[in-house]
Amino acid sequence: MTVKLLNTSQIMRQVSYALALGVAAQVYFFGSSVLIQIFLACITGLITEALFLRLRGSEIKPAIADGSVVLTAILLAISIPSIAPWWIIVLGVSFAVIFGKQIFGGLGNNPFNPAMLGYAFLLISYPMQMTLWPADYISMGQAADVIFGLSNIDGLTGATSLDHVKTQLTMGIPIQELELNSISQLWINIGFLIGGIYLLLRRIILWQIPVSLLSGVVVMSTALYLVDSNQFASSLFHLVNGATMLAAFFIATDPVTASTTPSGRIIYGFLIGILIVIIRVFGGYPDAVAFAVLLLNITVPLIDFYTQPKVFGK
Amino acid sequence: MLDAISTLSLLALLLGLGLGYAAIRYRVKGNPLIDQIDAILPQTQCGQCDFPGCRPYAEAIASGEVEINQCPPGGQEGVDALAELLGVETLPLNQVHGETQPKRVAVVDEKVCIGCTLCIQACPVDAFVGSSKVMTTVIAEECTGCDLCLPVCPVDCIDMVEIKPTFRTYVPDISELAHA
Amino acid sequence: MLKFKYNGGLKLENPYPVDEIDLIRIPLPDKVVLPMQQRIGNRAIPIVSVGERVLTGQIVATIDDQRCAPVHASISGTVVAIDEHVYAHKSGLKGLCVTIESDGKDEWVDTSIGCTEHYEACTPNTIYNKIRVSGIVGMGGAGFPTHTKVRLAEGCHTLLVNATECEPGITCDAALMQAYPTKVIRGIEVLLHICKAERAIIAIEDDKQDAIAALNKFCNNENITIEVMPTKYTSGAEKLLLKSLLGIEVPTGKFASDVGVLCQNVATVVAMFDAVVENRPLISRAVTVAGSAVKESKNFQVRLGASYDYLLSFVDIVEGSHKISMNGLMMGIELDSTNYSVSKNTNCVFIDQLEESKPIKECIRCGLCNTVCPVDLLPQQLYWYSKSENIDKAIEYNLLDCIECNCCSYVCPSYIPLVDYYQYSKSLYKQQVKEKQQTESARERYEFRELRLERNKRERAEMMEAKKIALKEKMARDKALKATVEAALKRVEAAKSAHGSQDDG
Repeated sequence: MTVKLLNTSQIMRQVSYALALGVAAQVYFFGSSVLIQIFLACITGLITEALFLRLRGSEIKPAIADGSVVLTAILLAISIPSIAPWWIIVLGVSFAVIFGKQIFGGLGNNPFNPAMLGYAFLLISYPMQMTLWPADYISMGQAADVIFGLSNIDGLTGATSLDHVKTQLTMGIPIQELELNSISQLWINIGFLIGGIYLLLRRIILWQIPVSLLSGVVVMSTALYLVDSNQFASSLFHLVNGATMLAAFFIATDPVTASTTPSGRIIYGFLIGILIVIIRVFGGYPDAVAFAVLLLNITVPLIDFYTQPKVFGK
Repeated sequence: MLDAISTLSLLALLLGLGLGYAAIRYRVKGNPLIDQIDAILPQTQCGQCDFPGCRPYAEAIASGEVEINQCPPGGQEGVDALAELLGVETLPLNQVHGETQPKRVAVVDEKVCIGCTLCIQACPVDAFVGSSKVMTTVIAEECTGCDLCLPVCPVDCIDMVEIKPTFRTYVPDISELAHA
Repeated sequence: MLKFKYNGGLKLENPYPVDEIDLIRIPLPDKVVLPMQQRIGNRAIPIVSVGERVLTGQIVATIDDQRCAPVHASISGTVVAIDEHVYAHKSGLKGLCVTIESDGKDEWVDTSIGCTEHYEACTPNTIYNKIRVSGIVGMGGAGFPTHTKVRLAEGCHTLLVNATECEPGITCDAALMQAYPTKVIRGIEVLLHICKAERAIIAIEDDKQDAIAALNKFCNNENITIEVMPTKYTSGAEKLLLKSLLGIEVPTGKFASDVGVLCQNVATVVAMFDAVVENRPLISRAVTVAGSAVKESKNFQVRLGASYDYLLSFVDIVEGSHKISMNGLMMGIELDSTNYSVSKNTNCVFIDQLEESKPIKECIRCGLCNTVCPVDLLPQQLYWYSKSENIDKAIEYNLLDCIECNCCSYVCPSYIPLVDYYQYSKSLYKQQVKEKQQTESARERYEFRELRLERNKRERAEMMEAKKIALKEKMARDKALKATVEAALKRVEAAKSAHGSQDDG
């Protein structure tokens, strides 16, 4: 097996680059507000990490140079509504870096995915700000105004496709009558899919998690769809809406918090996929990636223990 | 509210009965704590802790009479291990009882030995082989380096020699590998 | 095409390729330094003294342990020193060495004594002894005494000759096979005769086409087959070779001899031929000298004990700071200087340009190490447990099965020196086991001593009691006796006085 060797910093950077296409799609449909969020997130992340490294008595430069905090920051920035107030992303990234990474001892020691931890914290603490998504293209100036609190957010927001489906279903309208297609969501997910395939081809991530996660989503949503196609959306819907592709290729594949054995990764990814659909359909939140990933992070030591490969000669 | 009170009271009664039964049925014979403490102590039997051997010191610790930091051969790791076992705060090694030294064995200078057998009687683990008026020697694998033979030898022919690492026993130092 | 395969391993390119592989014979060194401590057993005891003249092939150090082989002089000359030198070992510890200064004559001992040239007529024991007395150990890197290994494999069904040389950059075995193909074949025939195997297989990698051609040309024995294997690092590890060639997975803790296979490195086979048929003990070997700072990589046939400096004088080295290593980039060790000598299991010396050391980062749990481990271990878990010194857990995760091939640290994106951690925890484990045994023993002896002192005290007290009672009884008997005597005397007195008064009246 030939392996093209990259070191840790290079891996982190490549993953950040692979996000570019999906982010470009976001900018195309909703304006450059997401870039402002990314900018704020990176600054916050770097400052918080440097501060805590100093507090822990560790060397700052090598740890910052490895690029992991920038990746966490970018992932969180593109997961939240792009017109959320500036303090949302600042709080979120700080929480993610401090409680998702630094208190455990820095890179490699954390059990929970830091970006998802930050997202869950924000969702639970500030449900309103976290559910006001942009409805349409917003110019840079207008976005900056909204984010920094200089103008009102009213009139700019709308529900995401997942939100829309959820509220309509609770009102008893069957799926067939709903307008399910969301071009923006489709292209954003395609962008992340292409980025993910790039990572796969460069062997920066391995096939087990993306394939099993998407399989899990398909299996669960198809099962529900077969039970009652009026109540439950098809698997295609689940695949191209929400953060499914982002989760499959960028979030669940975070090596530090995922399972480490090959068969363990298949179980890990598959269960996340299943949980994503379950929480989306039956849970209280429209998108479920963060909670699914965090729940499975807890089970990783157990999965690892039971999926040890058979040792040569035993 | 009556429901709540009665439910909880019933639960408390049942659980209490269960615990009482378990306490009687599964009572552990003897005091395993002493054995557990003794298993941590290095068995040098040197008496530096002010007790005549490791077992008496273990018994004293178990009864709570003494501190856990009186054993130099066990080193700071020994004190920490005892602290973890007993669930107490660890203490720094009490220097009054001596310093931790690298492992040593006794070596008898055969030319000087007069066969008085005082060392044989002094050794707490019978690591000497010899007899009256016959030269004495040390069984190196059994010697714990406790130093008790040194003061009794009338001709001062016993030396404590540090055990040096060999190719087989060498343990590399990984602190250099560790990064910030 | 291989029928079987094993997981893991790496496809590595030869970092120092040459157009033509050649075995170059070089002049005698001026001085040789022979180490006394070999792979197993205690160190050999020198039987020569300083100032004594020795001949080539003369035994200069013996060892009581019959499993081990003696040490021979590799040149003729005078013993100038028997003292401690730093060994080419990771520990950097010193060990006893015998230094011989050459007289330039290379005068051999009488090689007609103890001849086993007609080995078919000798008993196996004679040949084992010959192999032992010729100082032959495994020359693939491990250095295990060959006669012991062959003896343990008595009755095996297959002889596997390991000519894979899978460690990238080393070509000494290939050079040897190209230079002496007949010795290889005849050496195999000798081995076949001793171990009574049904067949012999020469396992060789496909990047050694010239050596394969040479062997094919000279092999007429139908019991010997040449298996060409795809080039892959760790294919030459004994247990993995058995798996990929014969499909046999040797159980943990057991050896190839337990499954009926005798595996020998091809250089060892040639040395065995020299010993059994030509009566010459092991005094030289082929060594590869290569590296990014060496203009052209070469293979030399050099006398054991020659210094690295001497070897390096035959190659062109680029100026600059160098990294010196021996026995390969994967399984070898880095040395601090060239002030070491060639020993029985030195297969190469690499001189590389010193590169900036890569910064070691945290483990990100990417699991790449898990995918390349040829023994299907979880190097990542072993790393975390070794780092926290949780040796029990590391053993549970099969730390002792690790063959220290370095495939895992090669692929690690954080450049963590994984095998260093495993070597550390293995030696820590050995230390802990020994300490445990010693404390157990000390506890038992202490308790028995307490028991014995108690028993002595008790017996002494009982003995005193018994003596006291005996004394009391004796006194009582004495008293009674005295009383009887007194009474008798009184009667006599009374009788006397009665008799006397009768006389008076």
